Amino acid sequence: MNKNPFPPNGGSPLSSPRLKPGASRGYSVNARLRILMIGAGTMGSVHSRAYRRLADAELVGIVDPYPLGQALAETLNVAHYHALDDVADDAYDVVDICAPSPWHRPYVILAAEKKKAIFCEKPLALTLEDADQMLNAVHRHGVRFSVGHCVRFFPEYVRAKAVIDEGTLGAIAVVRTFRGGGFPTAWNDWYASRSLSGGTLIDLLIHDFDFLRWVLGPVARVYAQSVLPEMNRVDFSLVTLRFASGALAHVEGTWAHRQFGTRFEFSGSQGTLVHDSYREHPLNFTTTGPTEGVALPETPGLLSSYDLEIADFVDALRTDRPFRVSPDDAYQALRIALAASQSAQTGAVVTLEPESGSRSQGGAQ
Amino acid sequence: MTRIALLSSAHMHVASYLKALNALPEVEIVGLYDEDKQRGQGFASAHQVRWVDRLATLLAEADATVITSENARHRFYAEQSADAGLPMLCEKPLATTLNDALAMIAAARRRSVPLFMALPVRFVPALSQLVKAVHGGAVGRVLAMVGTNHGQLPPGWFLEQTLSGGGALMDHTPHVADIMRWVANSDVVEVFAEMSSRMRDVGIDDAGIVQMKFANGTFASLDPSWSRLGSFPTWGDVTLEVVGTNGVLDFDVFRQHLDLYAKGTPSYRHLAYGDDMDAQLIAAFVDSVRQETPHPMLAQGIDGLKALEIALAAYQSANSHRPVKVSDLLAATAD
Repeated sequence: MNKNPFPPNGGSPLSSPRLKPGASRGYSVNARLRILMIGAGTMGSVHSRAYRRLADAELVGIVDPYPLGQALAETLNVAHYHALDDVADDAYDVVDICAPSPWHRPYVILAAEKKKAIFCEKPLALTLEDADQMLNAVHRHGVRFSVGHCVRFFPEYVRAKAVIDEGTLGAIAVVRTFRGGGFPTAWNDWYASRSLSGGTLIDLLIHDFDFLRWVLGPVARVYAQSVLPEMNRVDFSLVTLRFASGALAHVEGTWAHRQFGTRFEFSGSQGTLVHDSYREHPLNFTTTGPTEGVALPETPGLLSSYDLEIADFVDALRTDRPFRVSPDDAYQALRIALAASQSAQTGAVVTLEPESGSRSQGGAQ
Repeated sequence: MTRIALLSSAHMHVASYLKALNALPEVEIVGLYDEDKQRGQGFASAHQVRWVDRLATLLAEADATVITSENARHRFYAEQSADAGLPMLCEKPLATTLNDALAMIAAARRRSVPLFMALPVRFVPALSQLVKAVHGGAVGRVLAMVGTNHGQLPPGWFLEQTLSGGGALMDHTPHVADIMRWVANSDVVEVFAEMSSRMRDVGIDDAGIVQMKFANGTFASLDPSWSRLGSFPTWGDVTLEVVGTNGVLDFDVFRQHLDLYAKGTPSYRHLAYGDDMDAQLIAAFVDSVRQETPHPMLAQGIDGLKALEIALAAYQSANSHRPVKVSDLLAATAD
């Protein structure tokens, strides 16, 4: 059974190649998918609640060695575990990894070895070596794997992609994006360590790198400037991307502002498309007191963008269709982010090899 | 009475400067000279300005000049003004090459006449407030700046390399580069740029992204793209974001406008109601000529040179795909 039942698929993410009858997937599409959450921080909490809203998924436990994990497990009335190995292998089908970024690699590899389907928060990893090991494990064990590039589920971004794909703006020439707010506060202040979080260039801007690549195709050249890595809880970065198509993008990422927000502007030969989250709010309120935590972009709707993301992940598992975010998508976004980080450190321009040669094997869809 | 000569009507800003001059007391427009006779006569008759077909005649009657020619001809008019002993206000960019720019500054210095630059954004009241706040430490140490100067595709000679010296990067680098130098209180030492001509495909750069490093460690970016089409509610923008260790400041020159929804194209338009920065610029220029003392807010030739260096470094970077040190640019000129 070492044949990969989920070969990489180059088709549309919405096309649906079916599994051959009898192929092993490690879980039954007829029963509810049993989800094990790893990490009870901001994203772990958001994802846990998203699974609980689904009829065809069941959150069975939370793995987190810290008191936060027990608190969330109690709140949601599910089991709490200190480590993944504490959980019986047959007690769950899917692992959702929301641990801080440096722990993505060990958890993904362990979950792959246990033949579990995996969802991993972004960034995939903080180095290409780690990413290669992770995707190789996923490929070797033939497990399904997607990564939390949630911007692909934000309705304003989805709508923008549709407008651009329809040709309304003509050929895209120059793009601006903005993302950020205050400095994130989390467990052990891990965001304040560049080596643990990757800072704005990797942790934050990987969202825009992924979205822009989704819309505009491969990136050819990267230049970036950023504050000194040892700055005390202030981070700000400016990135210039040149796409293989010839389009340019100016990507701004900040943990030096206050209120979280995002903006984008696409200009092409036929028009300009603009969004500013600071203005597009159906509900506004302000309160006294400081704000802390990791800011979550929210676009109020019947379902949050995270609900949509998790629902799509579960649906793709149940219907055996490709994920909207493939392992290679996450890998390519990381390549762009690491190129930006390298450019900011060296002051030099980084030219990216064509994507086809960037990895010997694509990961399993 | 201060007598002003208009030198060339090639640049559309001449109309705005003329309007500002006409509004000032004790100012006389002695006439317009334009080497393109048809263009000059057309402008003169449309704006009720006296047409003078000999440059020397016009200069002999004037106290100062306003140079609104094609970029590549700034040097000619500046040298003529300097030789006639006349202070001048030169449209940006100062020139299209460092050699021309240095020659202009030298000519003015030789004749002891001031060479002022038309960089009106300095006069926007909100910018003065921004600079005061930043220099007073309101946002802590300045880490970075993000600027834009978007615009529409300009007509005619702007798209001819030999006359304009370049496209969007040449046209729209000076304003924001100049105010960034003021805010940072430092000069740009290195530039990286990407450019393209995908926006309008008119054979010259019409979009770009410029990144800069300042001597004091501040870094910045500028988007000078001609990326505003006729369907956009306004011609363009000038914006600046200042990111400091303790806070952020946002500046948007034209965010004093009404939103108009009415018949026409575009059906949604911005109607500006902020102070007219060109009027402030022209008043400061006339005042400087009268007092024979430079107005402290007026940009001078050296400021124009600094802005030009950034634009020229940007082109060299965009063509070589690597960051360019401004000092290397100057060294190459000196060779």
